[in-house]
Amino acid sequence: MIIRPAWALALVLVCVAPPAQAHHSMAMFDQQHEMTVSGTVREFQWSNPHAYIQVVSKDDQGKDVEWSMEMGSPMYLYARGWRPSSLKPGSKVNVTIYPLRNGHPGGVVLGVTDANGQTIGKKL
Amino acid sequence: MRLAIAALALAAGACPVLAQDTQSETRTEKFAELPYWPGYWVSEYQAGTTIGGIAPSILEARENGTPLTNFMSLNGGQAPWNEEGRRRVAKVREIAKGRKAAGWGFPMMMNAATPLQFLITPEEVLIVNSYNEVRHVYTDGRPMPDMVDLWPTVTGTSIGHWEGDTLVIETVMVKTPSDYFHGAPPLSEDAHYVERIHLDGDRLVSDVTIDDPTTLSETWHTTVSWIRDEGFDRMVQIDWDNDRTGYDGDFNTIEPPDEGK
Repeated sequence: MIIRPAWALALVLVCVAPPAQAHHSMAMFDQQHEMTVSGTVREFQWSNPHAYIQVVSKDDQGKDVEWSMEMGSPMYLYARGWRPSSLKPGSKVNVTIYPLRNGHPGGVVLGVTDANGQTIGKKL
Repeated sequence: MRLAIAALALAAGACPVLAQDTQSETRTEKFAELPYWPGYWVSEYQAGTTIGGIAPSILEARENGTPLTNFMSLNGGQAPWNEEGRRRVAKVREIAKGRKAAGWGFPMMMNAATPLQFLITPEEVLIVNSYNEVRHVYTDGRPMPDMVDLWPTVTGTSIGHWEGDTLVIETVMVKTPSDYFHGAPPLSEDAHYVERIHLDGDRLVSDVTIDDPTTLSETWHTTVSWIRDEGFDRMVQIDWDNDRTGYDGDFNTIEPPDEGK
């Protein structure tokens, strides 16, 4: 697992009401820190209101840890060139995320590349 | 005499056909006069939403340090709530932690991270999103049904009419929106919604006014706009089958996968 330097994003309150970005608030994710998790896809859930990538990665002690990576809804994924077949169990991936604020292994997906560093998702 | 009878018989037989043709031509003419808004429309502030469900407009506002006041404006962040409205807003926030949802419902479906399709016919306008949510807006001149024939529903009951190229929609009997979706405004079931939707260049713009003496101190005015985002080439209906939003006591979180799915 590789952890990249933190982003220095200015924290600005952009909405007066609950800042529902997708169907829930994004406050559950630490949007000032970006990190990349490298591992093996256990499952790709093409589901609504969010798709999820379940990725198994080694922690610092070499122990397997399963990460839950949240994505947008299938219609938006489709529009961005993703398909249910874009990821298969056993695929090696690097998933860049904003991690969960509570420290649990999970986050919201910013980008995904394969073992060769190629961006996943059909080029539109 | 025989000739006259034959002519009458022929005319009598032809009349239904003629009437049908005339009706068909009239409908075709009416259709041709109506606006045509093809394509898949997404809220302007949601355009370009990433694979993680993050709208670029949010990131830009953060980076520039500028407020983004019209993002999902129908959620009521700028609404003129009265005391009861503020009480309801506070209550919705209090119970929002980890709350799951079944869809957007009205009015949030007009402002949500989902494409919309506007199907315009002389008799009704269908507004459809990709989550099995459909609004039937009858434009055939019928009045709003009697109150005794109505009951609160997630999308309410709508009638509409055209003022030039502007579609005017009146909607009543919407279930309290925040009961269905936690990011929606806690308006009462007595709320009266009016939308005026028109094409402005490549944008669709809706001027919205909402009256609800139960929760609002005055008429709430807001605007929603849509553009055609890239990548959508058909509407796919998807149910909300896997909401893994949870709450750990301090923060919202992602629940473990349901192995049964």
